[in-house]
Amino acid sequence: MQLVDRIEKRRFVGRELLLWLWFESELFEGTLSTREHGEFGLWIERQLTISSGKEVTRIKGGYPAGSREAKEALLLGKLPEVFGMHLSWRERECNFVLKAETLSLAGLSLPTVLGAEDAPAPLLDRPTPRKRKKAESPDPSDAEHEVFYERMMLAREVEGLVEALFRDFLTLRLGPAWDTLVAPALKAWSRGDDGVDADAYRKVRDAALGKKRR
Amino acid sequence: MSVLKGSLTYVRFFVDGDLPDDFRERFVKAIRLRAMKPLEPDDEVPERWGWSRLAEPFELELDYESVFFNEYLNVGVRADRWQIPGAMLRAKLREAEEVYLTKKGRERLTRKEKAEMKELVSRKLRRQLTPVTRSFDLSWSLQEGIVRFFSAANAPAVAMQDLFTRTFGLKLVPEAPYTLAARLGLSKAQEEAWATLEPTSLSAEENA
Repeated sequence: MQLVDRIEKRRFVGRELLLWLWFESELFEGTLSTREHGEFGLWIERQLTISSGKEVTRIKGGYPAGSREAKEALLLGKLPEVFGMHLSWRERECNFVLKAETLSLAGLSLPTVLGAEDAPAPLLDRPTPRKRKKAESPDPSDAEHEVFYERMMLAREVEGLVEALFRDFLTLRLGPAWDTLVAPALKAWSRGDDGVDADAYRKVRDAALGKKRR
Repeated sequence: MSVLKGSLTYVRFFVDGDLPDDFRERFVKAIRLRAMKPLEPDDEVPERWGWSRLAEPFELELDYESVFFNEYLNVGVRADRWQIPGAMLRAKLREAEEVYLTKKGRERLTRKEKAEMKELVSRKLRRQLTPVTRSFDLSWSLQEGIVRFFSAANAPAVAMQDLFTRTFGLKLVPEAPYTLAARLGLSKAQEEAWATLEPTSLSAEENA
């Protein structure tokens, strides 16, 4: 099988990652954790797209995952495709949109200190040609470099956190805990049953992930 | 979309292949070779892609200092495209056809003449217009082997991958659950489970 086919056949794993994040975020009241990052706040906000083929449910609002429509879409066999997330970690707050099938980030707002964060991007007008003075350095300014490094450092931190969550998800998804614990819990949660015991779930889940219980 | 301002929207690609020993010098030369050459009205192509400086689509002088930010290789990906409004092209084409037919004393153009006339009129209109320029930032984290391309659209990503491969001789593999799982590394047992993985459905009908 070609690489491109292998990639296509496993895109659904990204949707299941989002589903699991949604479930755990709701079950643990917006406080998740990974071994590398400790505890952090993570919840869905602003937008949620749930789909199956051409059937798409788009929900917008402060807490879109809380709407009845969202769970109903899951019961129709749809899975999350895109959702907006709020991340609160190490006294930093940021928002981004996570896309399931590419695991790409969009609209990642960074708590940067350097640079003009909200300055509008310049229009792509053709500038008047100017001759560069000999004394003028062609190098990007140090300030530009610093802004770049800061932004990349923060973006890589968010990426690292998403990757750690994906690693935990894979541990559960590819181990026996998925069929015995996670999948039944997801089904009960999506139906709105009261039967998902957060403490019991956490205990078994943490054991499967090799974590010490908090 | 710029890496230097505002919120970030990007897709990641993994670089497939190793860096040559002298990659810094070699890559600067390769980037210069494929630096953007702005579209001219007489150019045969309707669109062209090339490198520019990061976040500066009209700065096409690329040197070592402007490209390398320590362990990152940063460039802009610029695209120029002629976009002649359809209504304008049709009107001018009609005018030109009428003049030609009157001059020749004929009623219709052949298919070949029509194509030539369209090319001629398009070229004439291009002299009155400027190409539309789009620009996207690209940041290659050399140690990680990851390219971050600051666009969410598919078409620019496809064009960028082609330009990247032609420039650096390396292929890019787009980020996806499959590639990330492979990069994070799976145990043997996980690999076996991964190979036979089936989607989980929460459908009330299927689970009834």
